[in-house]
Amino acid sequence: MRKNIMWRLLATLFAVALAASACGGSDSDDDSASTASSAAEETEVTLAASGESLLETVKSRGTVNCGVSGSAVAFSELQADGSMAGFDADYCRVVAAAILGDANKVNFVSLTAAERFTAVQTGDVDLLMRNTTWTQSRDSEVGMDFGPTTYYDGQQLLGRAGDGFSGSSQVADIGGSVVCTSAGTTTEKNIADAASEAGVSIELQTFEDFDTVTNNFISGACDIITTDGSALVGRKAKQQPEGENWVIFPATPISKEPLGPTYGQNDSAFSDAVNWAVYATIIADEKGVNSGNVDEMLASGDTETIRLLGGEGELQTGMGLPADAFYQVIKQVGNYDEIYSRNLNPVGLSREGSANAAWTAGGLVYAPPAR
Amino acid sequence: MENRDAILTIPDENGSLPPKAPNLSIGQWFRKNLFSTWVNGILTVLGTAAALLMLRGVLNFVFSENRQWDAVRTNARALMTLTYPESQYVRVWVAFGSVVVLAGLSAGIWADWGRLPARRLAGWFMGAAGFLAVCILVREPSVLMDLEGKTIRLPDGSLVRESFASAMTDRANWWAVVALLLIVGGVIWRSDSDKKQLKITQVTYLGIGLGVLSLWVAPYGHYAFTDGTYIADPNSTVAFSTKMPWTVMWIMLAIGFFAGRWLRTSSYLVLAKAGSNLLWLISPVTLYFVILRDPALDYSHVFSTDLPMGLAFGILGACFLWFLTRSDIGEIGRILATAMLGIAIFNWVAAFFGWYPMLQKARISFLLLAVAALLAPNFVGEAAKRRQLLLGWLGTMALVHYLATMINTPSTVELQSTEFLGGLGLTLFVAVFVVLLSFPLGVLLALGRTSKFPIFRILSTSYIEVIRGVPLISVLIFFSVMVPLFLPDGMELAELGAVLTGYTLFSAAYLAENVRGGLQSVTKGQYEAADAIGLTSAQRTGFIVLPQALRVSIPQLVGQVIATFKETSLLAIIGLFDFLRVANSVIPAQSEFMGVKREGILLVAVIYFFFNFVISKYSQRLERRVGLGER
Repeated sequence: MRKNIMWRLLATLFAVALAASACGGSDSDDDSASTASSAAEETEVTLAASGESLLETVKSRGTVNCGVSGSAVAFSELQADGSMAGFDADYCRVVAAAILGDANKVNFVSLTAAERFTAVQTGDVDLLMRNTTWTQSRDSEVGMDFGPTTYYDGQQLLGRAGDGFSGSSQVADIGGSVVCTSAGTTTEKNIADAASEAGVSIELQTFEDFDTVTNNFISGACDIITTDGSALVGRKAKQQPEGENWVIFPATPISKEPLGPTYGQNDSAFSDAVNWAVYATIIADEKGVNSGNVDEMLASGDTETIRLLGGEGELQTGMGLPADAFYQVIKQVGNYDEIYSRNLNPVGLSREGSANAAWTAGGLVYAPPAR
Repeated sequence: MENRDAILTIPDENGSLPPKAPNLSIGQWFRKNLFSTWVNGILTVLGTAAALLMLRGVLNFVFSENRQWDAVRTNARALMTLTYPESQYVRVWVAFGSVVVLAGLSAGIWADWGRLPARRLAGWFMGAAGFLAVCILVREPSVLMDLEGKTIRLPDGSLVRESFASAMTDRANWWAVVALLLIVGGVIWRSDSDKKQLKITQVTYLGIGLGVLSLWVAPYGHYAFTDGTYIADPNSTVAFSTKMPWTVMWIMLAIGFFAGRWLRTSSYLVLAKAGSNLLWLISPVTLYFVILRDPALDYSHVFSTDLPMGLAFGILGACFLWFLTRSDIGEIGRILATAMLGIAIFNWVAAFFGWYPMLQKARISFLLLAVAALLAPNFVGEAAKRRQLLLGWLGTMALVHYLATMINTPSTVELQSTEFLGGLGLTLFVAVFVVLLSFPLGVLLALGRTSKFPIFRILSTSYIEVIRGVPLISVLIFFSVMVPLFLPDGMELAELGAVLTGYTLFSAAYLAENVRGGLQSVTKGQYEAADAIGLTSAQRTGFIVLPQALRVSIPQLVGQVIATFKETSLLAIIGLFDFLRVANSVIPAQSEFMGVKREGILLVAVIYFFFNFVISKYSQRLERRVGLGER
């Protein structure tokens, strides 16, 4: 009797185990009922293991995971209808249009400043378009690589004309002021350094975020606020009360903040794709190609334009992109000037006379030739 | 409970009712309660002045010319669901509608909120009218605007305000509302010649109905952001896509309620009660993962793998358990159950090192089977008991396999971001899910901690102490980093899954202590009496101890529920977009509403308060119904 029971029991266990393992035969950890997605995930795993380029991963996945801030006015803002808008968001779309041929194939991931590099390293995002300053330590120690700068920013100060400040004021003029900025950022260190270099003493106050900083400035608790110039211009355009005149100074920023795409290091195929997608928008701007006339220019432009837009040659296919990659970028998202004007003009930032003007107009925006 | 008042006024030992408070005239009441001594008089005056000043401050803030309420109105949808696409919004309404029907059904089956004297209702109307009148009077006169809509300033920079008289005429609409409230209140009062009692359910339903009706007639304004353009139409009613669904919800509430009332008199009552409880239990997960996510089921995979696997586990597992509950099983049952546990744990170890492939579902099922096998000795005996275990097993398997399949199937809802759901939707989902799951877990932990078996006691105690000794935020961060390591690669919602797991475990530890407080209030005599009439320990716990313990711990349990709901705002720290974060950092970052933060935060505070106030009020009613604090 005892033996009989044991046998029946073993048979039951065996049957259960068989049923379970038979079902789990093909795919190891993936319960997905959709074969398409399980295939994609499998490829992802193998690629990561064999060290192939992120470019192939993105192509097989079909979306670009793009890390943005989500709360940076005019750069990446989460709109009321749930869409992501702004300069950085549009550059995510540029990358998606170049690699996948569809600017909408972007999965935006909102990241805080603290978690952005970890998100790249763990593969949660493919690249950052998150107003991240290109610095030596980030390029070397943190293990990031930086693409071409899309926006040249710099830390400036904002004060009231009523307090005697003007556009030509210098850091040396702010002695004795209460200077406010957001906590835990490099702006805090920059202004302290700049003040001690200029030999003036300031009272530095920090707040949790820049909205609070601005509200304290409006209420009069702060004499001067400081952060990147792009943000200050936006604040002045939108929040300056009537009867007050806010001024931004010094004309030469107290720090250099080159912002652009950031990705994990040592992945040439992927970084080339991202870099040249950005360069394509700059070259198109130089050549006068925009989303409206891109079709005519493909037929009648100069040889470099036609090469860039995929009309001849194998420049794009050689780097693993579709031949018409940059045509799609210009057609769907636009050239540098279009992206800039669409997002940054409404908050009062203009290209003329700034470092973000084209190199032919005295700015720094420059791209290597497409040939 | 029609005779609730009769229960509240229990005759004392001599059979006489407690003395009634004498009826005082208004003047006498004031003298007795507010101005009994000159110190009290001064305090009354000072307190009233402080309250009025605070009210004035709040009103001035809300109606200030600096407020940009457009920001909140335009972002209404973002505050509710954030990135959920508008084209799929019908899914949100279906999910919400399911909850509404379920709420109506439960109210129909259980609700007995008693009656309300019509005069008290009239009093509320008139009180509201009085409060509104005070509000109109204390608010500062508005700032004058010039024709371009800019404020006018004197040379010294101060603002020009209109005169008090013209402010009162400007607020004529509000005075009209005051008059209307007074008239309605007066009519109800006058018509109530025979001290009528109104059913609270009816009054509540009509109140909601009036709110819904006002969407069709009152000019709340239509604000939206679609395809890159802002729509601001302050004088129209809200969008059709808002008022129509709410009207449907209101009708569905009634349908659910009457279905519940019908079931109450029918012979299916027991079944209906069990059914609605079960629906409440599975609805958060089902609504979220099935209705909102709309999984793209691949039916060939479902029929070739998912279904057979579920059936195999269900049927073979049932056979195994049936065998384990034989009365002649003896020690071998325990040995097999332990062996089963070994296999189940080994499966996880093997998965960690990748020794052999096995679906996650299978691993979970093996573990559950091991747990069921360990429980089996409690069900040894007659067929009815054994059947209970089998039915429980089959139900669990059906649920686990159904949900696992749904959760692991990719969503068809197209999003441009990883935040599948945000805003109030996320807050409510997390709160409801955590409360529903942590409650049974907390009760089990409390029972474990008071158990006589040292192993249970030590495990529960150390679990509770460890979790309670750690801040919630570190538990959340720990889980958002660790849980993804145990999930299949590329599985969606890992962040949310991590949050739910960590938060549930955290909340359960606190609930366990609250329940333990209740358990300690159950006297030893109750246990002995239960033993004396021959109840098993499960029956004693289920029918004698827990009902009394839970009754005592209602205030603490509700406190924990409210805390759980409010602390969901910590989700923002690990990167999820909860309700508060949308108001705090998403809206102020839109270039149209740059820096507009206070309006959103005030709204969020009001909505948090509304939910918590309802929970609190309901718990007070529950306390009265179970006679807490009275007997």
